[in-house]
Amino acid sequence: MEGPIFGDSLTCGPSMALEKELKTYQEQPPKLLQNEGRYILIHEDTVAGVYDTYPDALKAGYEKYGLKSFLVKEIEAIEQIQYFTRDLAPCPT
Amino acid sequence: MPHITQSITQAGPQLDLFVSPSEPRIKALLAAGKQLPALVKIRGLVDTGASGACIDLGCLVALDLSPTGRVAILTPSTGGQAHNCNQYDIQLLIPHPNGNYLRIPSLPIIESNLKAPQGIDALIGRDVLSRCLFVYDGGANIFSLAF
Repeated sequence: MEGPIFGDSLTCGPSMALEKELKTYQEQPPKLLQNEGRYILIHEDTVAGVYDTYPDALKAGYEKYGLKSFLVKEIEAIEQIQYFTRDLAPCPT
Repeated sequence: MPHITQSITQAGPQLDLFVSPSEPRIKALLAAGKQLPALVKIRGLVDTGASGACIDLGCLVALDLSPTGRVAILTPSTGGQAHNCNQYDIQLLIPHPNGNYLRIPSLPIIESNLKAPQGIDALIGRDVLSRCLFVYDGGANIFSLAF
């Protein structure tokens, strides 16, 4: 299979943070799914690494990029949705 | 196993807790010569209907955080369509009167508007409960959290 497989199937609000990083994630090739369940670290258009746990990826992000913007995201074939039975207002920012 | 037992309020099983930047972010702030923000005391509602923890934006302002993630959420008002929300990394502390506490050094937490519409600072979701024993005794009107 060629090309990116991570389509943006979710409703996006107005311009939000991490747009570059999310675009980079969506452009990753399918072989990334070999790491499903692990965590990817992305800064702008650079994939900095894949880590076993969220704390590991976060630690690496701050060590590599300090207080600059970076994305930590679980690698999933199908984007998992978080459910809330209590109503939440859309993301304010 | 330390535990806390409190009365169930009209709003449900609520407890005081503290949030700060995550441990890795604290190290980055120190390395950058920045001042560390003070711990923020908040009131959280234990919510087994919440996949993950979420927090009112107002509580995050004092921590001066930047988002490090984005997640899709589905709530009763999203009409069956997921919405994207920013996710931040925090450290969560649930204190115990004897000095012990449950400390989660790196916890992803979703930003939302909770305070104004619902009077809640944060929802303690199943990601946090996965590290605890939660007992809801409706007959006695108390709940316990052991960690």
